[in-house]
Amino acid sequence: MKVGILGGGRWGQALARLVMAAGHEPLIAYTGKKPPHILPSTNVPPKASEQCDLLLVATSASEVRNAIRLSKPGPRNRVVVAGRGLEPGSAKWLTDVVLEECDCLRVGALAGPAPVEEILNGGLCAGVIASRYEDVRHLLTTALHSNRYRVYESEDLGGVQLTGATVPVLATLIGVARSLRGAGVGIHAMVLSRGLEEAGRLALAMGFDPMTFVGLAGVGDLVAAQALPGHPSYQAGEALAKGDRSQGPEALARALVRLASAKRVELPLIGALVAIYDGMDPLEAVQLLMARAPTREHQR
Amino acid sequence: MSSEQESGLFHPRPRELVVRDLVHRARRRLEGMSDTALEDVLEDALWHERKRLGRGSADDPEHPLLDTLAAALVRGTREQRIDAALSLVAVWGDEIHGRFDPRVYRVATRVLPTAVTALLSRRPRRLRDWRPDHLQPNARVVVRGELEWARELSKEATLILAPTHVSNLDSPLIGLALYLAQLPPFVYGAGLNLFSNPVVGWWMNRLGAYTVDRTKRAALYKETLKDYSIRALTTRHHSLFFPGGTRARSGEIERKLKKGLLGTGIVAWQEMLAAGRPDSEVYVVPCTLSMTLVLEAATLIEDHLAEAGKSRYIITDDEFAQPRRLAAFANRVLDLDDAVVMRFGRPLDVLGNPVARDPEERRAQAERRRGYVCGPDGKVEWDDQRDHTYTLRLADALCDAYVADSEALPTNVAAYAAWRCIAEQTGSNDPFKVVRTPIEKRRITPQRYLVELSATLDRLRDEASQGRGHVDELRGTADDVLATALDRFGRYHRSRALVRRGDELVVEDPKLCLYYRNRLTWLDRAPRARPLGESK
Repeated sequence: MKVGILGGGRWGQALARLVMAAGHEPLIAYTGKKPPHILPSTNVPPKASEQCDLLLVATSASEVRNAIRLSKPGPRNRVVVAGRGLEPGSAKWLTDVVLEECDCLRVGALAGPAPVEEILNGGLCAGVIASRYEDVRHLLTTALHSNRYRVYESEDLGGVQLTGATVPVLATLIGVARSLRGAGVGIHAMVLSRGLEEAGRLALAMGFDPMTFVGLAGVGDLVAAQALPGHPSYQAGEALAKGDRSQGPEALARALVRLASAKRVELPLIGALVAIYDGMDPLEAVQLLMARAPTREHQR
Repeated sequence: MSSEQESGLFHPRPRELVVRDLVHRARRRLEGMSDTALEDVLEDALWHERKRLGRGSADDPEHPLLDTLAAALVRGTREQRIDAALSLVAVWGDEIHGRFDPRVYRVATRVLPTAVTALLSRRPRRLRDWRPDHLQPNARVVVRGELEWARELSKEATLILAPTHVSNLDSPLIGLALYLAQLPPFVYGAGLNLFSNPVVGWWMNRLGAYTVDRTKRAALYKETLKDYSIRALTTRHHSLFFPGGTRARSGEIERKLKKGLLGTGIVAWQEMLAAGRPDSEVYVVPCTLSMTLVLEAATLIEDHLAEAGKSRYIITDDEFAQPRRLAAFANRVLDLDDAVVMRFGRPLDVLGNPVARDPEERRAQAERRRGYVCGPDGKVEWDDQRDHTYTLRLADALCDAYVADSEALPTNVAAYAAWRCIAEQTGSNDPFKVVRTPIEKRRITPQRYLVELSATLDRLRDEASQGRGHVDELRGTADDVLATALDRFGRYHRSRALVRRGDELVVEDPKLCLYYRNRLTWLDRAPRARPLGESK
């Protein structure tokens, strides 16, 4: 099977390696001047849509729309977004962006830990493919599942995308918490577990499966974010704790708060991150969180 | 070629052939099942049918067939089990299949429109008051929208007409509208209970109705019905079904549709594609019915509010079953200019995409559409799960179309504004609380009411300018709309949704007010923000 990969960056190349490890042929559609090293590629993106039934979108969230416009997938294609979060600006789910931009209907999302360099160096990993369409899940599993990369299937497309949007926010919060003076593993554990709880609450309110958060897309990705040296979200949290508000998943955090507000769900931790971006001192934000009234562990 | 010649109804196949085809389809499905799945389906059929027949007569011809099935389930081979199930399917198939008769249809199209129009007209008290226009069908049924388009498509493709369902009067009214629109006849499913009257049953059966027994709950029966629908569509029978499944109890425009029959469109399309048919397209035409007053409103809203509402899927004791109520309704309501407004919406394909008006573009669309179900070799790849997900898209598209094509009528707008006023005075938006609010909180000052009514009219006109809903029947000022609504409310129902008493407006019957107000609840919801089929 020939698998199209939209985006020739490190993640696109890692996915191409996984496709090869599963015994299939990748075709990377890149837009820059320099083709990816060694791997089969084209700088005419529509070729990927013509030649491959399955397309993996391996660009940043802000580039998904452009990648789809350039490659023009059609009714026969299945498009799987292998990126996290919501589109910056519009705050739309990335699969919705795909549906808006082309005639393809069969879409899915690949989520889970993505230690790119490890994968490129032959490391073992796993991911979850979520789609409403069984044939999309099946095709993606066939394309990527190997003794190097395990693929698990889920129907909870919304839940997986929500989880993907939440993980960078929680990783940033952990970065903030760990960098505060006097912070230890206690606050780390608290932010991690309470962050998952409030994300699960939002998932439930939106009709998604809260168990998705304890799977590869949630806990799996979050553990990787903390364990991986130099993870951008974790680093953004460290910078925030020092007063640098120029980086990190600010737009994502705001979008999640908006979603939660529409569903009347309280997100104290993510709300605190938004408050920090708005200028609140991180220590004060933590103190406000700790001063909240006691409550039940699971509010469902 | 005339629309009659194009319709499969005018080329009837022998009855045995139809039943044999249904049995063949069921056999293919049952033979493809695992032993466990097969056992589950047959046990389900046995259990539901035994339960149903327990209430019926002992000499029902199904009894021996069920005994055979039961025996096969206990000690029969796989083949014996399948054969026993297929005997049931054959009996059901024979019952379902209609007896359309082109000769009867031609006679009926001369007689029935006048008869239905006579029903819709207020009968003059004295013969000398009678005027010929009392029997002019065009003057009685307001039909708007994409009729011309539907007529054009009916010549090149098979149509599914998917109307909203308000009242038991819908079917004759749609039949009349189809005739007036010069559309070909449609087959439609009619409840078995409607056939109990031999005269009505005889006519319905020969005018395109097939029989649906809603007391049969077995999955095997439902699959047989779906097979019948697929068969009808693949033999160029334009088909009508109410995707909401039953009359909207709350009065709301349908928000959830049954996917079973709706999903037969995509299967029929693929069967025709696989057979290489040049006329393989199946298009779905949304149709929105809006009624100024609804014959069964009081019963329907009562049923909606009652805890047992869901269990009364089939209501047999409502106003439709009371000849005097029906006559009163026909006499006082149906001859009004705004009594019934029917709007045909923009046709959709079986995946929920809008169909192009231009024939060339339509052909290009059809070519692209094949890609959703065919492999690289151009052959159909069968996938029930994918088709179900496509049908969810179609259902979403239909629900959007129902709102876009709905006609806001004075009774709906007046009730909507009145409900907002009494909800505010009750201090709650909970319908169960508001319908029980005492009379003193149901009195509204005209000044307060007109502010609310004007705001509602402004919102509706604004929405209409953006393609959501129509306001053609809301003529004049808020005072004019109120006067029309009060006149309508006073015509038929025993207690009125809204009435003027002295200097006040009073919500006399809050349940009826809720019913008529519910038609506009879409105003309180934001338009779809996510793509079709993606909202959870």
